[in-house]
Order: sequence, then structure tokens, then C-alpha cells
Amino acid sequence: MSAITAEPPHIEDHAHHEDVGFIRKYLWTYDHKMIGLQYLWTALAFLFLGGGLALLVRYQLAWPNTEVPILGQFLPATVASDGAIIPGGYNMLVTMHATVMVFFVVMPLLIGAFGNYLIPLQIGAGDMAFPLLNELSYWLYFISGIILLAAFFVPGGAPGTGWTAYAPLSAVEAYNGTRMGQSLWGIAIFINGLSSIAGATNYITTVVNMRAPGMSMFRMPLTIWSLFITAILLVLAVPVLSAAAAMLFCDLNLGTSFFKPAGGGQPLLWQHLFWFFGHPEVYIMILPAMGMSSDILAVFSRKPIFGYKAMVYAMVAIGFLGFIVWGHHMFVSGMNLTLSAAFGISTMFIAVPSAIKTFNWMGTVWRGSIEFTTAMCFSLAFVSMFVIGGLSGIFMASTPVDLFVHHTYFIVAHIHYVLFGGSILSIFGAIYFWFPKMFGRMLNETLGKVHFFLTLIFFNMAFFPMHNLGLGGMMRRIADPPIYEHLKQLQPLNQISTIGAIGLGFTTFIFIWNIIISLRNGKKAPNNPWNANTLEWTVASPPGHGNFPKTPIVYHGAYEYSVPGMEKDFLPQTEKAPEHVKLEAH
Amino acid sequence: MKFLLLIFTVIAAGLVPAEANSLYWAPPNVTVGGRQIDGILNFIFWLTVIVFFLTQIVYVYYLIKYRRKPGVKAHYSHGNNFLEIIWTTIPVAIFLGLGIYSNRVWADLHRTPPPDAIQVNIFSYQYGWEMRYGGADNQLGRTDIAQISTASKFGVPAEDLAGKDDFTSTELVIPYGKPVHVLLNSRDVIHSFYVPSFRLYQDAVPGRTISWVWFEVERAGNFELACSQLCGIGHYNMKAPIRVVSPEEYAVWYAGKVKAAAEAAQVEVPANNPSEKVAKNGPAT
Amino acid sequence: MSSAALTHDEHAGHASAPPHVAKFGMIMFLASEAMLFAGLIGGYIVLRLAQPEWPPAGAPHLPVLLTGINTIFLVTSSFTLHFAEVQVNKGKTGLFLLLVTIGLGALFVGVQCYEWYHLHHEGLWFNTHGVYGSSFFVMTGFHGLHVIIGVLLIIWVFLRQLLTRCYTPTRHASLANVSLYWHFVDVVWLFLFSIVYLWR
Ligand code: HEA
Ligand code: HEA
Ligand code: CUA
Ligand SMILES: [Cu+2]
Repeated sequence: MSAITAEPPHIEDHAHHEDVGFIRKYLWTYDHKMIGLQYLWTALAFLFLGGGLALLVRYQLAWPNTEVPILGQFLPATVASDGAIIPGGYNMLVTMHATVMVFFVVMPLLIGAFGNYLIPLQIGAGDMAFPLLNELSYWLYFISGIILLAAFFVPGGAPGTGWTAYAPLSAVEAYNGTRMGQSLWGIAIFINGLSSIAGATNYITTVVNMRAPGMSMFRMPLTIWSLFITAILLVLAVPVLSAAAAMLFCDLNLGTSFFKPAGGGQPLLWQHLFWFFGHPEVYIMILPAMGMSSDILAVFSRKPIFGYKAMVYAMVAIGFLGFIVWGHHMFVSGMNLTLSAAFGISTMFIAVPSAIKTFNWMGTVWRGSIEFTTAMCFSLAFVSMFVIGGLSGIFMASTPVDLFVHHTYFIVAHIHYVLFGGSILSIFGAIYFWFPKMFGRMLNETLGKVHFFLTLIFFNMAFFPMHNLGLGGMMRRIADPPIYEHLKQLQPLNQISTIGAIGLGFTTFIFIWNIIISLRNGKKAPNNPWNANTLEWTVASPPGHGNFPKTPIVYHGAYEYSVPGMEKDFLPQTEKAPEHVKLEAH
Repeated sequence: MKFLLLIFTVIAAGLVPAEANSLYWAPPNVTVGGRQIDGILNFIFWLTVIVFFLTQIVYVYYLIKYRRKPGVKAHYSHGNNFLEIIWTTIPVAIFLGLGIYSNRVWADLHRTPPPDAIQVNIFSYQYGWEMRYGGADNQLGRTDIAQISTASKFGVPAEDLAGKDDFTSTELVIPYGKPVHVLLNSRDVIHSFYVPSFRLYQDAVPGRTISWVWFEVERAGNFELACSQLCGIGHYNMKAPIRVVSPEEYAVWYAGKVKAAAEAAQVEVPANNPSEKVAKNGPAT
Repeated sequence: MSSAALTHDEHAGHASAPPHVAKFGMIMFLASEAMLFAGLIGGYIVLRLAQPEWPPAGAPHLPVLLTGINTIFLVTSSFTLHFAEVQVNKGKTGLFLLLVTIGLGALFVGVQCYEWYHLHHEGLWFNTHGVYGSSFFVMTGFHGLHVIIGVLLIIWVFLRQLLTRCYTPTRHASLANVSLYWHFVDVVWLFLFSIVYLWR
């Protein structure tokens, strides 16, 4: 295998170079680490925004049609009048909340931030294969974000058709009332897609071609495996959404009729294209979270990951099966009933690899020596919350049950257990874990624990009642639940949920506060604060340009913890095992 | 670790009343098919509850038992293939069984409606509902999608004689104990027919007629038909009353509607679609 | 982040990925392009199979013969570009064949433009005759855009070679990648041609 790790020619004596301007350092850089951080900060800003939108949504659901305190005054006229959210505005908030969270928070954090930061460092490369493309992908992401947000300020306002933008509602101005807003949504999705494809191309190429000597595929950390598989899913799934978005744009602006029955178009075609992308997309948003949490679990259990190969094969299986289950979003959409039955079966099967992973995580902590750092707490909670979200998925995978719960808050509960309880908790864990490497400072553990406990409590408070709301018959995307007779009695649940969500919002400030004070005067981070094995911990915190002063040579897998017969309980990948110890094959 | 125990208690506390108290569980089911759905729902509920508690109790037990203690080193193990096979095959078996069970019920719910089923054509639009009944001859005029227009709201061709006496209603009135077959249409965007107490959801897609939904309600009651597919600004309020009445009461109501329709048709020159005028008279409740 | 090390960028340059890596990346990119067209073509097939007649009554037929000839131009251009690469491999400039490729590519675009103009004249456009017009213009439009980008890329390659003679038998990664892209666009066209024009 050809390793083309760049060894920077003269790294030591550059200490006084002041000629790198602000722009070249922070705005237009080819360094994968800085690009990763660009993604990180931008996506965290979007998390605030998306969370703010969610809080508005929650406020309206708990206390419909009352003036939103403080924020109400700042809302555009298309969203609120006299500070109270109007029904059309509610739809816009929901749509923008989900679009922001999916395309501008979770994907960029997992793939843009951690993917960029960790891939070269963990495989022992100097940078990505195509640094220019990498930076381009960040700016495409940034621009698409601006375009999306601009939709709030155009005539007609933001799109109010849900993140799924079902046609023909989304495809006909007479129905949705905002041709501009919906078109901007389409453009933003298209450009965001270009950014994802650029990134994914880069990752696949880098992982395949630029591993350090000795870093065979089956010695890669699970983080890298998960990002690698995710990148393949991106390359295959995102372009289909781009094609659909282009058709939608043409329907709106050029008078084509892809999705309009009047001209022979088919509303269900949109759904097929969207979900062909959409289902792989949800695994795109969970695989890297799984990978990173696996690594963190192993480090703080001081144990090799249980069933490394099984973990890899499970992820490959998820990636593959992910392309043949999209119809489970369409059981009751008017799709052929036999097709529904077939998709029901394939959906059942895709739960199997997740089950394998769950059991292997439990195997990993079994007989470990578990240290409850904040990063570990988040990763442990990730497993539990993912199990809840996954199990609610089983209800919906059963076609008859979906006949009842489809498009209710049961689905909303599922979404947030897998996406917040899964992806976001894992991202928090990963931030606590890699922050020292990224910034050379430790995050405050006490604040971290507070952040963790409050997040977990408020999260469950906000989203668990949604299961009951859904079973009680509460539809998604309705601005004013109490106007339905059968939902009046459920209103207390809505209020509990909202209080939880507000608590979650405030808890986020603790996190931000922790970041700010730790950046300024946190404890200085050593190279390897957690005694971990992977390559990024062998270099300085933060790593210099080019990452590795010398191309690292890898001798074994990433999980040699607590090897019997060794003094210390870890064995970095660059260190040969002492003569007398024998590493177990996996 | 205490935190995990904490969430368990919270969740357990949520689950128990969930099953016990219908307020925080599904509203009471009133259809025959709904019983099958509730059966599988409860089955999955208990399956997942068991799986959840088994996995989590073991998990938390490990977390407590294997917390870091001075001098104790972790066990060095890369896994166990036998275990991998066990915990692959068992879920495969469970999920296969569940999938087959689900599809049995699914097929049963969608078997062809009995011939004596009452047919109702439900038209949805931004933002409301119109129900069309077969009228005096109990025969619905067939909807031709291409002919739906502002003039012909149901797209029934003028030459379709069965459609001449159809009447419409803004509320869905049906008898209990009889199968009801609904034909779903939409004039503009996708709407959906959703009645939680019926355990029933189906999208109404513009450009086609969905013809496989049928159900049998078991007892009288008032319900709300809700549109549960995001369809625009008025989506949140797109509802219609449903009245399930005794077959006798239904017959009376039906006869009244037929009579009103006939009178309306006589007053005016027979137009393209007589049902339109009836709609304006409002439901004869 | 040691700002010092960043200056390294200037020395290393960003286009430094070795040829086989660049080519691998290009193939990944083309895989995603293939999925883009698969989405469009899949949609087209679904829509078309549900149509009672095709082309719809009163809609103009597509000029199969003209487009057939045009297809020959495009296929030929793939060959000329390939042989340009062969020549560079042999140490020659390949300039002439590059020029011919540009000419053929431009010719293809020209004929497509004429066809659009002609069909527009006959009353077929994005917003007429339902999905027949929609799918034709969006699919050929998307492909045409790819051809235009391809021609621009080949012009760029041509100018570089003309002005700096930078392609040698051992170093011509950008030429190889542009030609990979061009072949891909060509293959996509063969699919489009058979499914849009020949399938009746
Ligand atoms: C990260 C994102 C993510 C993940 C990982 C998943 C995972 C799963 N999802 Fe989910 N899903 C979404 C995100 C996600 N989903 C979103 C966003 C939507 C809504 C989109 C919208 O409409 O807006 C959705 C909607 C959705 C639907 C459509 C519902 C509807 O609209 O009616 C369905 C239906 O089948 C479904 C099923 C599943 C299943 C079976 C899994 C499985 O992969 C889960 C597998 C995991 C487990 C099962 C738990 C662990 C296993 C064990 C402990 C083993 C033992 C278990 C048993 C024996 C039961 N999901
Ligand atoms: C991808 C991940 C993701 C994440 C992280 C979230 C996070 C949250 N989501 Fe959302 N959500 C979705 C994805 C996500 N969501 C999707 C895909 C849908 C479906 C949409 C559709 O139907 O189309 C959805 C829908 C959805 C609904 C259903 C709306 C409806 O159907 O009518 C609700 C309602 O409660 C909701 C709430 C929340 C809440 C309270 C949070 C909380 O976790 C957020 C917590 C808040 C923060 C972490 C930020 C804190 C910030 C502040 C306190 C600052 C405030 C500042 C300003 C206002 C500037 N979400
Ligand atoms: Cu009609 Cu929602
Ligand atoms: Cu899915």
C-alpha cells in the first residue's frame, strides 16, 4: 500500500513566521484541521439557530396562539403576528428547524467537523487527498446555509412544507404560497449536496490511498470505518436528492410537471426519490456517531472493542441494507400494498446489524475498568438512548402498526431519540473527547458532568412524552393541537415536553460557557490525556501543520488496551508490542 | 451510574401508567381491524419493553460492577465469535417472525372489501372534506380523475347514470356493524384520512383514487376526521366530524339526504353534477 | 495551531495528489454523477410508464436522425480525446487532436441548441405537453450542461498544453482526468439517447 503521507520538510524552525494572514489561516486554508474547526464552529452556530426554532415550535405547541416571550417581537411577519406564531409561520418554523438540524448541524458536525479533523490524523496522513476541494466543500456548505436562511426574508417567507417537502404542495406556488422560499430551499439543498459530495469523494480517496504504512483496513479505528462507509453512502444517495431538488426547482420556476398530476407527473415520484436519499441519510447521521462512541467506550473501559470485525461488518450491512428500505416511510402513501409488505420485511432486517452493535457495546464495557469521564458518560447514554429510539423504530417497521402511528408524534419521538439521543449526544461526547487535541486545553469536567446530567434529564423530559402523544393520536406538524377534541386532554404532556425543551436550551448555555472558559484558561492538555492508542494522540495537542513530524508506522490495531503482561494498560498503534506479550487476533 | 438508574425509573414510571391509563395510551379502538392492530401493537410493546429492560439492566449492572477500582485491570478480550452468532441469529429469528406476523395482518386488513360494503367517496381539498354517497340507487358515480374541475367537483362523467343521484355531506355518517369502503381522492395536494380511534391512516393522493381502505366500526360514537399530511397553511385545522350511528338511524339519515338531493335536482335544471347543490344546502342532520 | 507551519501550503501546493490518487478521486466523483443521472433517468422511466401515449397527442416528435448524427460526433470526440492522450503518452503534444475534440464537443452543443430552438418553435418547451416536455428538456439540459463544462475543461487543458507544454508521458494527470470525465459524459449520453430518442 502506497503511503504518501506528507512529511513537512521543515517544521521546527518556523516559529516566527508571521506572514500567514488571518484569511489564509482561518478563512481560506488547506489544512484539514482548520477546515474541521470551521465546520465545527459554523455547525454549532446552526445548532443554536435550529434549537431556537425548535423552542419556538415547542412554545406554540404548549401555549398555542399566545405571545412568545422575548423572541416574539423579532419574528418576521410571515411567521408571527403581534408576537404570536401564526399557523403558516408554524409550518415554516418546523420546516426550517428540521432542515437546519439535518443538513446544517448533524451532517456537518459528524462528517464535516469530525470527519475532516480525524481522518488524516487517525490514518496517519499529512492531510486530505484534495485539500482545495476540502476547503471548497466548507464554503459551499456555508453559502448554502446563507441561502437557506435567506428564505425567511423573501416575499412569501420560508418554505412551510416540512423537511420532506412533499409534492405537489412544494411544487406549485398556488398551494404553498412561497415560490421564492421553496426555490431557495431547493437551491440550498442542491449546493449543500455538492458540498457533501465533494467532502465524501475526498474522504473515500484519502482513506483508500493515504493510510500510513502498516495501517491496513482492519487496523483502522471504528471512527474511520464509520466515516468511510458514511462517505460511500453520501456519494450514492445525495445526488439522487440533488436530482429531485432540481426537478422541484423546475416545477416551481420553469413550469415543468414532474410532480404535478395535471401534466402527467406523479406526486409519489418525489417521495420515492426523496426517501431513496432520505433513508440512507438517517444512517449517514448515525454511523459516524456509532463509530466515535465505540472508540470512546473502548478507551474508557480500557478494553479492546468487543467484536471489532463484527462491528465493521454490521456497519457495512447497515450501509447496504440502507438502500433497500426507503419504502418504510411510504407504507400508507398510496404506494402498492405488496411493495409495502416487502419494505416492511427489509426494514425488520436492517434492525439486525444495530442489534449486533448494541450487544457488542455491552460486551465492550463488560469486565472493563470503566472511568466515567464526561465523554464516556455521553457515549454510554448514547447507547441507551439509541436503543430507545431503535426500539420505537420497530413499531413503525411493522406495517399494521404504522397504519396507526404514521405521521404522529410517535415518529417525532423516534426521530429525536435517534437523532438527539443518538447523534447529538455522541457529538457532545466526541467534543469532550477530542477538544484537548483540537485546542490544547482540557474541558472542565465538573461543568461537563452538569451539562451531561441536565441534558439527559431534560432530553427525556422533552421527548419521552411524545411517544404517548403519538399513541394518543397527535398528528405531526399541526400548529394548534387543542382544536382537536381528542387532543385537549393531552395538552399537559405537551407542556411537560416544552418545559423539557426549554431546559435543554438553557443547558446548552452551560456547554457554551464550558467551551469559553476552557479555551481561555482550561488545563493545558498533554499529547495523550486519555492514554488512548490511536495515532492522533501521538502528536502534539494541537497537532502542527502536516500532522506527523515523521510518517508513523503502525504495528497493530487501535484497541490494544490492558494487554496482559504489560506495565501500562495501553499500547499506541505506533508502538511495537514487547517481545514477551502476545496480542490476541480478532 | 446512578443517572442511568434514574432514567430507568423515570421511563418505567412513564410506561406503567401508559399501559394502564388510556389517557396516556391510545384512544379506545372502535373498529374490527383495529383490534388486530392493537394486538400487534401490544405484542411489540411488550417485546420492546422486555428487550429494553433486559439490555439496560445488564448494561447498568456492568457499569456499576466494572467501574474503575484501584489495582483491578480490565479483562483483555477481542470478542467471541460464538456470542456474535448467537446475538445475530436470535434477532434475525425475532424480526423474521415479526415481519411475517405483520404482513399477515397487513394482508388481512387489505383483503378485498365485501360486496355489501357501504361505499363512500371522500374528497379532500385545501382545506376541507366532502363525502359523496351513492344516493337512491346506492351506486356511486365513478370518478374520472381527468374530469375533476371547478365545474365537476367529483369528476363524475355526465353520462354516468349512477352519479346522477349521488349526494354529498360535510360530515361522515356511517352505521356500526357494517363494512364501510372509502374511496379517497384529492383535488390539489396530498391530504390524509386519519382517525386514531379507527387505527387508520391513508394518504389521499391527487391524480388517483385510493380504493383499498375499508373498515367496520363496532359501536356508535362521535369522532373527528383529521388531515394528518402537511398540506399547507390550513392543515392544522382540516377536520370533519364523523358520526357512527345505528343502522336504523343511518337509514333515516340516508333517506333524508336522498330526498333533499332529489328535490334540489327538481328545482333546478338538471346540471352536470346535481350533488353540488346539495352540498350548499348543508348536511341534513 | 502553530501559524508557522501553515506557510507550508505555499510550498506543497494543493494539486499535489499523485496521479493515481487523483484518478481514484475522479472515479468517486463520477460515481456520484452517475447517481445524479440515475435519479433523473429513473424518474423519467417511472413517469413514462404511467403515460397512456408517448409522445402525447399533438406533441412534436423528437428529431432522431439529427440527434443520431450528433451522437456520432460526441462518440468520435471521445476517441479523438483518447488518442490525444495516447499521443501525449508517446511524447507528442496531442494539440491537434485536442483541438478536434473541442470542435466536435462544440458542434454537439451547437446541434443540441439548434434542436432546442427547433422544438421550442414547434411548441415543445419545459412547460408544454406535460412530462414529455419537462423530462426532455431537463434531462438533455442537465447533460448539455455537463458537455459544456467538459468542453471548457478541454479548452483549459488545450491552452495549458499550447502555452506551457506541461504534459509529458509521465505527468498528465489533469489531462487524464478530464478525459475520464469526457468519456463519462459520453456514456451518459448513450443512455439518454437510447432512452429518450430511441425508445418509442
Ligand atoms: C439517526 C437516524 C435514524 C435511525 C438510526 C433510525 C433507525 C430506524 N428507523 Fe427511523 N427515522 C428517522 C431516523 C432514524 N431512524 C427519521 C428522521 C424518521 C422520520 C422522517 C420523517 O418522516 O420526517 C424516521 C422514520 C422511520 C420510519 C417511518 C415512520 C413513518 O413515517 O410512519 C420507520 C418505519 O419503519 C423507521 C424505522 C426505523 C428502524 C426499524 C430503525 C432501525 O435501524 C433501528 C434498529 C435499532 C434497534 C432495534 C435497537 C437496538 C437493538 C436491540 C437492543 C436488539 C434487540 C431488539 C429486538 C429483538 C426488538 N424510521
Ligand atoms: C437532526 C436533528 C434534530 C435535532 C437535534 C432536533 C432537536 C429538537 N427538536 Fe426536532 N426535528 C427534527 C430533527 C431534529 N430536531 C426533524 C427531522 C423533524 C421533522 C420535521 C418535519 O416534520 O418536517 C423535527 C421536528 C420536531 C418537532 C415536531 C414539529 C411538528 O411536527 O409539528 C418538534 C416539536 O416539539 C421538535 C422539537 C425539537 C426540540 C425541542 C429539539 C431540541 O433538542 C433542541 C434543543 C435546543 C438547543 C440545543 C439550542 C439551544 C439554543 C438556545 C436556548 C438559544 C435560543 C437562541 C435563539 C432563538 C437565537 N422537532
Ligand atoms: Cu389536508 Cu393536511
Ligand atoms: Cu427510514
